[in-house]
Amino acid sequence: MIAATFAALADPTRQGVIELLRHKPRRASDLADALGQSRPAMSRHLKVLRKTGLVEPANDDGDLRARVYQLRPEPFEELRDWVEEVERFWSLELHAFKAHAEKKHGRRR
Amino acid sequence: MVAGDKVRVEVFVAVPIDDCFRYFTEEIDQWWRRGPAYRLARGKAGTMKLAPMLGGKMIEHLGDGTSREIGTITTWEPPAHFTMEWRGYNFREGEKTTVEVWFESSGEGTRVKLEHRGWASLPADHPVRHGEPVDVFIRNVGMWWGALLTSLRQAQE
Repeated sequence: MIAATFAALADPTRQGVIELLRHKPRRASDLADALGQSRPAMSRHLKVLRKTGLVEPANDDGDLRARVYQLRPEPFEELRDWVEEVERFWSLELHAFKAHAEKKHGRRR
Repeated sequence: MVAGDKVRVEVFVAVPIDDCFRYFTEEIDQWWRRGPAYRLARGKAGTMKLAPMLGGKMIEHLGDGTSREIGTITTWEPPAHFTMEWRGYNFREGEKTTVEVWFESSGEGTRVKLEHRGWASLPADHPVRHGEPVDVFIRNVGMWWGALLTSLRQAQE
């Protein structure tokens, strides 16, 4: 799922959608206009974002034009956990290296 | 590059840059952590080797005659910088990320900075994980979605 989330976020237009939705939920047509996209193009981007769970319709009353999209925080939390794990891994390795290098250097002096 | 598709960590090492680079690349088996999150070999078995040259491989020899390639050096500029194509243990054929390491003289020692990036290119069902659960750790994430998440939380409150 993580890689799918990264892939969904790889596109500048979809990053633009996320940025806009940070502030408030919006209709697909508003997102298209704000980002200079055609309606069909925006529809495809929203489909990718919905599939990865990054956005969801805030209301689903059947009228597609009135549908408002909002962000879902869960995938972002997954991303953060993932990054924290990788970060922790490398941080521990670098500190292990530091301990080794400083011990070795101290011995040589 | 995907926004936030990378991790950066750094550490200050009280060793001059030339020695620091040499210890890092030539003595990797001596400092690379042991345990299931870091190596395939159990306990004290096996060795980690990095061939210090352009095209050189990082390989774990498991001590039972088998080995596993982890990385290949793609940029080699001692003592300041090198880059590896990184294949985690559970990466499949053709799957790779990038690990880049910089060494900068700083006072009496060296600042070592490491960046790991490129997961966006891995397939969606990729099982890569580094093993241990996240626990309390001082960090400076500074990621795009870190700020994003904060703003989401604030918006929900």
